[in-house]
Amino acid sequence: MSNAAEQTQVVLNNPMPETPGIAGSSSMELFYRRSHFWGRLTLFVIILMSLVPPLYISFVMDAHPGWGVIGTGLVGYASFIGIMWILEPITYYPTLGVAGTYLAFLTGNIANMCLPCSSAAQKAVGAEPGSEKAEVAGVFGIAVASLTNIIILVIMILGGTYIISVLPPFVESMFGFILPSIFGAVLGQFAYRTPKYGIIALIIGMAVLFAPIFSLIKIPICVALTIAVVLFMEKQKGNLNG
Amino acid sequence: MGDILQIANSTVFWIFAFIVVAIVAFQAIIFLWIASRSAGQADMNPSEVRTAIRSGFISSIGPSFGIAIILISLIALIGSPITLMRIGIIGSAATESSAASIGASAFGAELGADNFPIEALAAVMWTMFLGGTGWLIVTMLFTKSLGRTQQKIQKHNPKIMAGVSLAAMLGAFAYLASQQMITSMNHAVAGIISVAAMILMMKYADHRNISWLKEWALGFALLIGMTTGYLTTFIL
Repeated sequence: MSNAAEQTQVVLNNPMPETPGIAGSSSMELFYRRSHFWGRLTLFVIILMSLVPPLYISFVMDAHPGWGVIGTGLVGYASFIGIMWILEPITYYPTLGVAGTYLAFLTGNIANMCLPCSSAAQKAVGAEPGSEKAEVAGVFGIAVASLTNIIILVIMILGGTYIISVLPPFVESMFGFILPSIFGAVLGQFAYRTPKYGIIALIIGMAVLFAPIFSLIKIPICVALTIAVVLFMEKQKGNLNG
Repeated sequence: MGDILQIANSTVFWIFAFIVVAIVAFQAIIFLWIASRSAGQADMNPSEVRTAIRSGFISSIGPSFGIAIILISLIALIGSPITLMRIGIIGSAATESSAASIGASAFGAELGADNFPIEALAAVMWTMFLGGTGWLIVTMLFTKSLGRTQQKIQKHNPKIMAGVSLAAMLGAFAYLASQQMITSMNHAVAGIISVAAMILMMKYADHRNISWLKEWALGFALLIGMTTGYLTTFIL
């Protein structure tokens, strides 16, 4: 309890580095302007690039399967993934920030890599969630993670079958537990100063998990409920009064 | 399947794959530059920048290998360069293998079957590549308006934004962890142990003011959780 209160104090008393002076605010404006420009540009280029391989196999290699087939495949896929196209960016935006969103949605593996690396970087420099320092520290974390990931992917693709064959089999079995370990560790990272909120989030998580709701909207619902409960409790404590 | 993999592994697709890899790397480098130009104004000194970079690197090694190990299963189905293109940008082994099998069945073929015509590979590629652009298009178009909304809230009451980001993180990971932990007793142990390991390390690091432990904490917690989960398979 005393920890929770202390955390709240820290979070709420220091949401931003002082009041940014003229230089400060204009430079963060520059940060956002650059992020939007380069983020949109790189996404646009990769969207165009995504069209090249299918167009190539259809019309250069002359193996077009027919637009009907393509439509059927896309509709089938979009019927359960389509909602994630919209919900995931909105759900993860509050934690990733502007630049983090552009990075994470290009490189992928948001929950199991980008968010954990962003929060690790933020915690390592002692930045409080929601502050400008957290946003910039998170960008370093995700950008480095994206680079590391793509390098490891290339190495594994080029030498993958060989590497897998020399690894002892227990390593592969251990990696079967990587997801609960990552998610648990990140939960611990955010809950360690406010155990009460961590427990509340877990209860909400379990309840939503077993609730008879359409499964793809469960994460956004869980996030929305946790935000509502935490804001309500902060308000009760009088911590949100401007 | 042999013929189709020969096509899927042809030079042209390798060239496409390396263009995609180059764009991803370019974006990461550009954002490192953007962030370092604004680090001072965001109250980060150069040594904190190095700390953030180091902890991003350390924390990404485990997940990256996890992702890489899963992708081996895709290579057998759609070849190396296409796998690299699909996993390197938005998309995970789970989404891409479901897209691949839906694309194949739309053509009336089955992934991995002996009789797999090149047109079926084309149907698979259309489904995966167009399907993946959904996230990219939404992010490209709407991040700016999300940013404006955030700035409005920030101006109105900055304390709310701090509460929202903390709660959003807790909510997302409480759900993801719960979902994994109900898979089996071993998964539950792995999850609980890594939560506990993380809390203990972070508390200890705070208490003794050990900053390097905060950088390594995620990697350690991951390793401890995975090892314990694996070891319990011998008893549970």
